[in-house]
Amino acid sequence: MTTQATGGVTRASVKAKASRPASKGWPKWVLGLIGIVVFLGLWELMPVVGLVQAKYLPPASEVIAALILDLGLTAFWVAVWDTMLAWLIGLVIAVVAALVLGLVIGMSPFLRHLTNSSIEFLRPIPSVALIPLAVLLFGIKLESSLLLIVYACFWQVLIQVLYGVADVDNVAMQTARSYGFSYVQRVRDVVFPTMLPYLMTGIRLAASVALILAITAELLIGSPGLGKEIALAQSGGAISGMYALILATGFLGVGINAVTRIVEKRVLSWHPSVRGEATV
Amino acid sequence: MKTLKSVGFLLGLPIILLLWWWLATSGAPNFFVPTPAKLLTTFVETWIGERLITDVLPSIMRLVVGVLAAIVLGIVLGLAVGLNRTMRAVTEPVFEFFRALPPPVLVPVLMLLVGINDGMKIAVIISGCIWPVLLNTIEGVRSIDPVQNETSRSYGISGFARIRYQILPSATPTIMAGVRQALSIGLILMVISEMFASSSGLGFTIVQFQRSFAVPEMWSGIVVLGLIGVALSFIFQAVERRVLRWYHGLKEVENAV
Amino acid sequence: MLSNNPTSHAGGRTLPEGEALLSVRNLKKVYHTDAGDIEAVRNLTFDLGRGELVCLVGPSGSGKTTLLKCIAGLLNSTSGEVRLDGQVITGPPKKMAVVFQEYGRSLFPWLRVAENVELPLKNAGVPKEERKRLVQEALEAVGLAHVPKSYPWQLSGGMQQRVAIARAVAYQPEVLLMDEPFAAVDAQTRADLEDLIRSVWKKLGVTVLFVTHDIDESIYLGERVIILSSSPTIVQEDILIDLPAERDQLETRSLPRFTELRHHVYAEIQKAKQGHRPEEAITMVAK
Repeated sequence: MTTQATGGVTRASVKAKASRPASKGWPKWVLGLIGIVVFLGLWELMPVVGLVQAKYLPPASEVIAALILDLGLTAFWVAVWDTMLAWLIGLVIAVVAALVLGLVIGMSPFLRHLTNSSIEFLRPIPSVALIPLAVLLFGIKLESSLLLIVYACFWQVLIQVLYGVADVDNVAMQTARSYGFSYVQRVRDVVFPTMLPYLMTGIRLAASVALILAITAELLIGSPGLGKEIALAQSGGAISGMYALILATGFLGVGINAVTRIVEKRVLSWHPSVRGEATV
Repeated sequence: MKTLKSVGFLLGLPIILLLWWWLATSGAPNFFVPTPAKLLTTFVETWIGERLITDVLPSIMRLVVGVLAAIVLGIVLGLAVGLNRTMRAVTEPVFEFFRALPPPVLVPVLMLLVGINDGMKIAVIISGCIWPVLLNTIEGVRSIDPVQNETSRSYGISGFARIRYQILPSATPTIMAGVRQALSIGLILMVISEMFASSSGLGFTIVQFQRSFAVPEMWSGIVVLGLIGVALSFIFQAVERRVLRWYHGLKEVENAV
Repeated sequence: MLSNNPTSHAGGRTLPEGEALLSVRNLKKVYHTDAGDIEAVRNLTFDLGRGELVCLVGPSGSGKTTLLKCIAGLLNSTSGEVRLDGQVITGPPKKMAVVFQEYGRSLFPWLRVAENVELPLKNAGVPKEERKRLVQEALEAVGLAHVPKSYPWQLSGGMQQRVAIARAVAYQPEVLLMDEPFAAVDAQTRADLEDLIRSVWKKLGVTVLFVTHDIDESIYLGERVIILSSSPTIVQEDILIDLPAERDQLETRSLPRFTELRHHVYAEIQKAKQGHRPEEAITMVAK
């Protein structure tokens, strides 16, 4: 198992090296910068040329100015804090619950068989379906956001944990058993290390899903956060402000992706297999 | 015996959960949770009939049109960008930003730009679903095996034939992973575009039930959404199994070594 | 020259103009990398006559694959030229087919066996009926007529490489290039595949250039063996293999002549590894 995975990695890296031609032309980051400039330029020109009305899509310069203005406001940072708080609490609850349940279910073939049909049925239910229920139960409080976030993230992580546990090498497990490892020791020393890359993949996917649902809950239910501010700006006709807040959510998303990727790399740096996500 | 056992595993837990639900709700009436029987009759009364045609089917149509358009656009654009190193580098930061942007924020934007109509709802679905397909297509095209490329070249397979017979099939596993993400994003966007600004559709109807405290009706709406989600997932799995039969077989062989 | 020395030629053999099917002239390939230039092939000159079966053998890292890719038109040479039938090669020519070492990655896993063989023909616009016939014949020639509907990955490594050979054969090339095609299969399969190549070559009269690092294989297969020096590569020696035309894994390999040739090639490769370079080749290059 381990050797096979290592083989895969070396082959992949050799491939990457071989397919990279001698560097010619401009470096990648310059090209990326050009792309950003072109994009902002097009955005700036669209309302000016009259492709869209400036009251519906203000030029980029105006939106960026509004965003910079926001950065100086306490209210903006409170909204960011509220969104991130819902994101973090929801994510942590979902990950802990999915990890514990995933380990228990995954390690018992009986439970795996028993729960399979229910998981396959509950998993595809879109968590936005729960919006009315959340409103009914919690109103516009943080709990509404949490219900949606936890439901959506739980399945992402659970599925990955189950894959991870299923990937545990039988020989390693039997070896551990023959040396008299206890259940807890087996989980800690055999199952957990194998499952870790899968868990990290699950967390990475869940982290971006959690942001989507945090914003959704704020936008639709009105629980506090950036999404609520966007809805307020829109209904109040502060269009540049709305676009500025939307840019801010995009940057939050980029930041979350970057951080989870770095954490994943750090946590798995010792691991022989930095594997791709299971396509399920 | 064996089939009996697998049927037991298939239905065992759902039956236990149903029984538990029934026991928990049939004693004292609960405002928030209807009994299974009540939910079932409400479901039939509410959704089987006129609402199916006025609210459910139009929602599903918009979802299907939006998702299909996003898939086609995403693959075509992804091929165009992915096959060119410079284009890849130029577009990467902008595309990564759009992928990271939570799709629901597109609803108020498109309400402004398109107005409140069917076109807006479809535009929301397209503009949210296209990114995973587009970025996965780019990734799938980028990571094509160099030996496969040399094989195509040495046998004179180029241009459209190369895309048709080599590049697209080889990128399909990655593309399908993107399509799966697009499907769940599409469903979310279908619901919230209707909840946000609409006078019909599934999302709108469910919110109306909630606002008028018609709790069993609201639950039945949640069930409808759940059923659509499950149906989409099954359809996707069936299509994926067909399209990627070679890929799953190949992986099985590789993993067995 | 002693009678038991092979008919050898320092530097590559060339033919009078117009007689060679494939001619390589002063071929040089330098890779430009971030770490500086790497000279993989220094100067190669040799000819292949129509219908020859020639093996290229050399120490590992001697630029065999680079050379083959230049001939196949997959790589541009830095200087010098390759001609097929008098035409300078600038891209992969129609009359050439390549069998790669990595059969698992060269066959398309999403196509079935027959579809893999058929694809280049379909692309070339061969009519359907003829395509069917060519695929059938090619699969029969490699002994795989019974598995057209299987996927390549359902077959063993040796069978996969047979599919790749069938694909090349069905394409009806004038020159068949093979890049260490049997390096990744087991010994028994390898022997079978070697005999397969000999029989395909005889049956179809195709010209074969077979790259290998295996000395025994080169002698057993080839009518002629070109020994390459270590990198930067030149032709160390070009010898004729005067073994009987009917080759047999047991009989041929136990002939005293086989052993002599084997010793000779082995000694040359050892010399190449130690950096010995033939004078004549260098002087030839110089003029």
